Amino acid sequence: MDEQALLQRIREGKLVEGPQHATERYLEGLKRTLIVSADTELISAPAYLRAARHAPSLNAYVSALGIIQDELGHAHIAYRLLEDLGVNTRQLVYERDPRDFKHPYAFDVPLDSWTELVVANAFYDRAGFVLLGDIFRHTSYGPWKRALVKVDREENFHLRHGERWMEILAANPATREELQRAVDWMFVMTLEWFGLPDHLKRHTEQIEYGLKGSTNDQLRQEWMSTAVPLCERLGLRVPAHYDPQLGQYVVDCPFPAEFDEENKRWRFEDGPVSWDQVLQRWRRRGPANGELVFQLQRAYRQLAA
Amino acid sequence: MPSPEEVRQVLRSILDPEFPVSVVDLGLVRGVEVDGDVVRVRITLTSLGCPCVELIREDVRRAVQQLEGVREVVVEQVFERWSRADITPEGLQRLREAGVV
Repeated sequence: MDEQALLQRIREGKLVEGPQHATERYLEGLKRTLIVSADTELISAPAYLRAARHAPSLNAYVSALGIIQDELGHAHIAYRLLEDLGVNTRQLVYERDPRDFKHPYAFDVPLDSWTELVVANAFYDRAGFVLLGDIFRHTSYGPWKRALVKVDREENFHLRHGERWMEILAANPATREELQRAVDWMFVMTLEWFGLPDHLKRHTEQIEYGLKGSTNDQLRQEWMSTAVPLCERLGLRVPAHYDPQLGQYVVDCPFPAEFDEENKRWRFEDGPVSWDQVLQRWRRRGPANGELVFQLQRAYRQLAA
Repeated sequence: MPSPEEVRQVLRSILDPEFPVSVVDLGLVRGVEVDGDVVRVRITLTSLGCPCVELIREDVRRAVQQLEGVREVVVEQVFERWSRADITPEGLQRLREAGVV
């Protein structure tokens, strides 16, 4: 199939069902998008498990484990789709260098408490929900679209779990401050998750090929449109507000900024940095990167030895 | 005070947190008693380690509390066996649409 026939097919709203309907360039873009999604779901499992140990009750622990199990299921779906496209997923999951994983930098910053875990459920899973919801509605790749029906509902449960626990922690003066501290670093971390602003974005085939429907900036807005009201309702401070004149959310802090990994805080005092500096930090990966990937690969290595 | 049927009716509006099916159609509601202004709802779960137990209990409590004449809602978790056979035909239809079964 040539480029023109493919674009014609997509414009007509017909789904691509496999390589027979696609071009090499489409397949490369699809694989790149799928790998980011698969890696993100997968790395969230050890990242969340690390923090779930601090669960305040057995029911809370079981909820956290249920979420982790869902995430592994979602990762499996995406890797399975990659396998069907001829990608060696065994190599991808078990033999890849930790720094070559494509999940957002956010997951390389360790979650150290139950508070940070539930904010991750409310913020990070919301980002996943926004991104996958967009893919579900717009993707031109049929097998992915069908697989996402179930993912959408499960992420909904993760969000509710996160929101419910944020409510509980916000209502208690003894835990409120710790919650605010988690929100302080994790809110901006999730803003960054959506990536380069539209005017700097290089890969355009994602939109062109209908792999996704909305741009990074649109998705960042969509995330803020529910995350900001949630925080306002709970009386938590966030550096963003809705501007009725612009008809959109405005970020009120230097963004993007440099992140102090050791103290988990944004160095707003240094002012905004360039996205090139952010990309450099992402490429270096964060403090928990090696540990989390090691956990995923440990048993495979032991069996192979 | 509401009748048990009215309580069941309101429970039909409560969706399972993970699936687009009501707790009634999923076969989780195992008894409704109205005793004056106290409503007792007995629910079971699809598995012993159900990750959504707190959410379901809260949803049930909140919804029933809205009914006129209700002062207290007791959500009692019973450990009755649950299986696929407990899902109503409507529930199965919804799950099929969601690609779950």
